[in-house]
Amino acid sequence: MAAAAARHLSGTEAVAARYRDVDPVYGETRDIRLLGFVFFLLSDCILFSSFIFAYVYLRISAPAWPPFLNGHQLPWFDTSFAAMNSIVLFGSGVTMHFALENWKHLNKAKFNGWLIATILLGIGFLGGQAHEWSVVGISWTATTMGAAFFTLTGMHGFHVFVGVCYLTVLGLQANGGTYTGSKYFGLTAGTLYWHFVDVIWVFLFFLFYIW
Amino acid sequence: MDAAFIERGIALVGAIAVGVTATVQLKNDWTARGLDADLTKVLLGLMALGCVIALLAAVNLLGVRS
Repeated sequence: MAAAAARHLSGTEAVAARYRDVDPVYGETRDIRLLGFVFFLLSDCILFSSFIFAYVYLRISAPAWPPFLNGHQLPWFDTSFAAMNSIVLFGSGVTMHFALENWKHLNKAKFNGWLIATILLGIGFLGGQAHEWSVVGISWTATTMGAAFFTLTGMHGFHVFVGVCYLTVLGLQANGGTYTGSKYFGLTAGTLYWHFVDVIWVFLFFLFYIW
Repeated sequence: MDAAFIERGIALVGAIAVGVTATVQLKNDWTARGLDADLTKVLLGLMALGCVIALLAAVNLLGVRS
């Protein structure tokens, strides 16, 4: 019955109708788990917002920006490298989206390809960040600029690292038979987490390299 | 050709490719319903905005320091 009704629906509604038809209990618990995951993302959002507001406050209350250290004004961050590295991370968001779409359409080979591409791009971004840290020319402890930069980008980098581990586990689970075409909440959560990490970087990129 | 020029070139091409793809995905998912679909739409939209910012930075319209 629900499967017949699902033919008239599109996107997520059709998927929801399909898994409710397969397992009504799963449909209900999925919604609860999704809400819990969204609350987790919101709590993470508050964490980043707190540090971002601290950085904004420090910056607008400083007499000069970049601040002076030992009589010399510190350099601005390198926008061109950061723009390129940002695109690597944003690209990984798109590949993760494709991975989930292919899983929904039961195309496991393409799912694996896009998921591996996402993981590699995530690792590439982390490598770019490591390079950025090594050439940035400021220290964590000497100025508020350095403290804010290393704290925020470090916290974000840690999230990306966790995301790479998370996606690797999801890939192993998906290939091990944990998820099916109608039950794949873990993959949905992983995709949302990865998009969230991408979006946090949009704000950090603007604050440190554009503003 | 210096490194910054190459980095900006890669950022420009990448921003167009990723931004257009994200926007097309956003359009395709526009009619999808549900909390996860709505959240995905918001996040994809912000990611497309990020691509626009990166593109403007790549062409020196944003992030130019005096």
